[in-house]
Amino acid sequence: MTECDVLIIGGGPAGLAAGIEVGKAGLKALIVDEGVRFGGQLVKQTHKFFGNEEFYASVRGFEIAEKLLEELRAMDNVELMPESTVIGVYEDGVPILHRPSDTTTLLRPKRLVIATGASEKFLQFENNDLPGVYGAGAVQTLMNQFGIMPGENVLMIGSGNIGLIVSYQLMQAGVNVKAIIEASNRVGGYQVHANKVRRLGVPILLRHTIIRALGKEEVQGAVIAQVNDSWEVIPGTEREFVVDTICVAVGLSPSAELVSQAGGRLQFISELGGYVPVRDENMRTTASNVFVAGDVSGIEEATTAMVEGRIAGLSCVKDLKGITDEKRLKKFQEQLRAFRSGPTSSKVRKGLEKLNLSFPEKLPRETAVEPSYEAYKGKLRPIIECSEAIPCNPCETSCPFGAITIGENINNVPVIDYEKCTGCGICATKCPGLAIFMMQEKEEKGTATVGIPYEFLPIPSKGDQVYALRKDGSVAGVAKVTKVVKAPNSTTVVYIEVPLEEAREVRHIKVVEMKPEAIVCRCEELTVEDVEKAIEEGYTDFEELRRRLRIAMGPCGGRTCRLNALMILSRKTGTPIEKLDPGTFRPPVIPTTFKAVSKSAKGGESSEG
Amino acid sequence: MRAEASVVIIGGGIIGTAIAFYLCKKGMKDVVLVEKSYLSSGSTGRCGGGIRQQWSERMNVRLAMRSVKLFERFEEEIGMDIEYYQGGYLLLAYTDEEVELFHKNVAMQQEEGLDVRLLSKEETKEKFPFMNLEGLKLATFCPTDGHANPHLATMAYAKAAEKMGAMILTHTEVTDIDVQSGQIKGVLTTKGYIKTSVVVNAAGGFSREVGLMAGVELPTESYRHQIFVTEPLEHILDPLVISFVNNFYIRQTKSGNFIMGQGDKDEPPSHKHDPSWKFLTEMTEKMPHFFPFLKEVRVLRHWAGLYNMSPDAQPIIDKSDKLSDFYFAIGFSGHGFMLAPAVGEAMADWIIYGSPEEVDISNLKMERFSKGVSREKNVV
Ligand SMILES: Cc1cc2nc3c(=O)[nH]c(=O)nc-3n(C[C@H](O)[C@H](O)[C@H](O)COP(=O)(O)OP(=O)(O)OC[C@H]3O[C@@H](n4cnc5c(N)ncnc54)[C@H](O)[C@@H]3O)c2cc1C
Ligand SMILES: Cc1cc2nc3c(=O)[nH]c(=O)nc-3n(C[C@H](O)[C@H](O)[C@H](O)COP(=O)(O)OP(=O)(O)OC[C@H]3O[C@@H](n4cnc5c(N)ncnc54)[C@H](O)[C@@H]3O)c2cc1C
Ligand code: SF4
Ligand code: SF4
Repeated sequence: MTECDVLIIGGGPAGLAAGIEVGKAGLKALIVDEGVRFGGQLVKQTHKFFGNEEFYASVRGFEIAEKLLEELRAMDNVELMPESTVIGVYEDGVPILHRPSDTTTLLRPKRLVIATGASEKFLQFENNDLPGVYGAGAVQTLMNQFGIMPGENVLMIGSGNIGLIVSYQLMQAGVNVKAIIEASNRVGGYQVHANKVRRLGVPILLRHTIIRALGKEEVQGAVIAQVNDSWEVIPGTEREFVVDTICVAVGLSPSAELVSQAGGRLQFISELGGYVPVRDENMRTTASNVFVAGDVSGIEEATTAMVEGRIAGLSCVKDLKGITDEKRLKKFQEQLRAFRSGPTSSKVRKGLEKLNLSFPEKLPRETAVEPSYEAYKGKLRPIIECSEAIPCNPCETSCPFGAITIGENINNVPVIDYEKCTGCGICATKCPGLAIFMMQEKEEKGTATVGIPYEFLPIPSKGDQVYALRKDGSVAGVAKVTKVVKAPNSTTVVYIEVPLEEAREVRHIKVVEMKPEAIVCRCEELTVEDVEKAIEEGYTDFEELRRRLRIAMGPCGGRTCRLNALMILSRKTGTPIEKLDPGTFRPPVIPTTFKAVSKSAKGGESSEG
Repeated sequence: MRAEASVVIIGGGIIGTAIAFYLCKKGMKDVVLVEKSYLSSGSTGRCGGGIRQQWSERMNVRLAMRSVKLFERFEEEIGMDIEYYQGGYLLLAYTDEEVELFHKNVAMQQEEGLDVRLLSKEETKEKFPFMNLEGLKLATFCPTDGHANPHLATMAYAKAAEKMGAMILTHTEVTDIDVQSGQIKGVLTTKGYIKTSVVVNAAGGFSREVGLMAGVELPTESYRHQIFVTEPLEHILDPLVISFVNNFYIRQTKSGNFIMGQGDKDEPPSHKHDPSWKFLTEMTEKMPHFFPFLKEVRVLRHWAGLYNMSPDAQPIIDKSDKLSDFYFAIGFSGHGFMLAPAVGEAMADWIIYGSPEEVDISNLKMERFSKGVSREKNVV
């Protein structure tokens, strides 16, 4: 192809769906994918999908990809280019590296749809650079795409949907999954997925973590241990597993570097998996000719990826032809709203909210008393998150000023009169349900103080840095402890400072230390300790660290280490991660030979550039 | 934040931090350096790090030789390893004009006491057998030239200055310079007002903009220059190699990566930092001719920085004659990193004692432009 209207980067469900819409409108589209086969994550999935009927629910992943491809192959104006990587978005064009021939082609499409999906997060433990430690995605690729077994005995880290599904797939392929370990006290993924692996006899060890991989040349085992409520290893509970493979499934983060290179702004939104492109409801980024769709715009599902792809495709059509099928566009936007209205989408909704994209929740409310954040904003006051009728009233009886009322029926939910409340905080130390939080917004600073009833050890001290956790246990960032109120025989309240927009979410803290020997950056073999030392020397900017330590300068371009380094930086400096500059994303995205670049064939130029 | 300073330096690149260091070292109190982003975020952190003394203009040779003296004792004096390495510079001549110029340059450089020699094509081949020297007429080599890590050097100066009492304000931008009846009264920053009567403009690519804040027109313009780095290879190339007619320079870093770049004659003035694909294709086409092994080597990262250019491609080191105590060290084009130690020292002397002590920098004043321009020829 020498000319194209729309270049679609990534041939997962999002990219393929975008291609179909562009193709249907008669425009020329080129879909480029790194893989041998099109379909992105779908081709690795042998299980039946959840989601919306209309979007192939209960069809197996690889079959969904086939259906989309069938439709695309029937279109003359859409070309598919496999085994090719877009290595950068430059001001003067978009170079595509065709790996088998080691040549590059420069295209200047009128519109760009970036649907590059996500890459796996990486876990820090000792010896995590030994051969035999894989990400779950790599294991899936080996197994489901190339038919290669990663090993015979596997330890799975992480009980989210991916960990559960990959474990199941490993067992299906005859590989023995010795255990799935999960640091938190509940299974992260859907119950049904968990039951599936349980039926196969795979133990899910809650409150367990991996300490180190064993072996010299390759993995020969793993040491795991129990953790207590504050996620610390309980000494004496260590045990060894004889495994030859350790599979890490601790989440995904969007691969948004090309968006950044194209001039689109990124924002850190942990609910969406990390740095995501800022975009509007038509999937347009802040670079006006650039659209995104799918996991790159926030970790979600294949269904939403496809709908977003269709919206992005239709938006390109609208830009280039002046009109589009508005009814279809509305329909897709409506479908997204419907999909995201359920309880499992609450995290995504929260994340999208930060991009000013509102998706209403449609849940039956049990008891209506929602804490009113708006009333008395800025005053130090308790926020009572107790809306279920339970027989309990210490809040009422503890308040020396009579500000909380339960009333005659002890099952009533508490009602607070902020006129009477002095903000003394006693109620928070007394509530047995740990349901009362102190809060004071500081609008001018853009922060809020949140007082958290905390019943773990160790209790942090004023000035310490701790992880701030949300209602759902996700890490909101690193926060500074501003005050600790210890009352005999009642709950300690730890006051922390958080960004204003997190104040209604942060409800817990975690005091943890990263293992100093754990590897942060595999390319340069840097440990947590190396990074911490540099920060102590005064390198407090990601770009400074990068130049000091060469972190993110290796062949991986920072895909694995950038986020880890930012987390450490945030923890050490007390700057919330969303306020840190993630640094520049320099092209090329993957190392490219001189030969490939110099042979660069020039593709068609468009009038719009 | 300190509300009052004896000197305010604008710019946290190598030049600003070197000046801060020498001011403190020579006993100046209450020095404040203001940097709008992080230290070395400007040209310094994007540059090639080359340090050469083989120039065509005598002033540049002197300044560079003085800098090399200071780089040689950098670690001892400032206490940080900045990956300084004296692997030499190899300059390649391909045309008769170049041959003539190189002969003249070497004679002048030797007069200045520089250890530099002419190499025949055969001698060059013997030293660098992996290079394709087709068409080469002659080369010159100076073994005491070399390179260092610009980011580490900047951090070293800044940390040392801080230790001696300087205040380094990063992520703080100077937005205006308060001038009243020809006297500097202070600078306005995004973090507040700092009272001072002495300001140093070391704002690199933004030198002209900072000059205008004080109402002073400076004849500098910024141009994008691009550069890229390859994956690491075994160490084979000691010197930094330059060809002016073929428009390239290349060196190998301590970690084994090759860094290389070229100048772009058609580049319009701008503050652009985005790299272009055109640059990468031109370089990858050109370089394997001279270094055939590069063909299969992979490009890792590609970026761009600004050359702040004066009309004769030489720095402007001066003090305004329009208002009191507005100094500037600007227009370093592609060689500000290597000159920084000598410039820092000279500026500090000028501010404290009223004149530079170690090197004569009188030729780098603005007044030279009224006499007609003699351009530095040894530039990429
Ligand atoms: C184990 C597992 C189970 C899942 N189960 C379900 C489920 O049951 N239901 C459900 O709805 N969802 C499920 N998902 C999620 C779903 O697979 C993803 O949300 C979806 O695939 C995202 O689609 P995408 O097109 O955005 O990205 P991807 O599918 O990741 O595709 C992105 C593509 O872009 C290519 N690419 C990236 N960078 C470049 C580049 N620079 N140049 C060229 N190509 C590039 C990649 O090679 C890839 O093929 C599951 C995911 C996993 C991992
Ligand atoms: C690609 C490339 C390769 C190069 N290779 C070499 C080489 O090999 N050898 C060599 O010697 N030189 C080289 N150079 C040139 C060298 O980088 C520069 O001459 C040198 O870094 C200039 O230093 P500086 O401190 O004057 O400027 P800078 O490093 O640009 O510092 C100026 C600082 O001022 C700050 N600033 C600007 N305006 C304001 C404001 N209003 N308020 C606060 N702060 C402000 C900027 O953020 C910036 O950090 C190269 C340059 C480039 C672009
Ligand atoms: S903070 Fe004090 S006054 Fe306010 S409700 Fe709680 S106990 Fe009552
Ligand atoms: S004491 Fe706590 S849990 Fe009980 S009613 Fe009051 S707020 Fe709710």
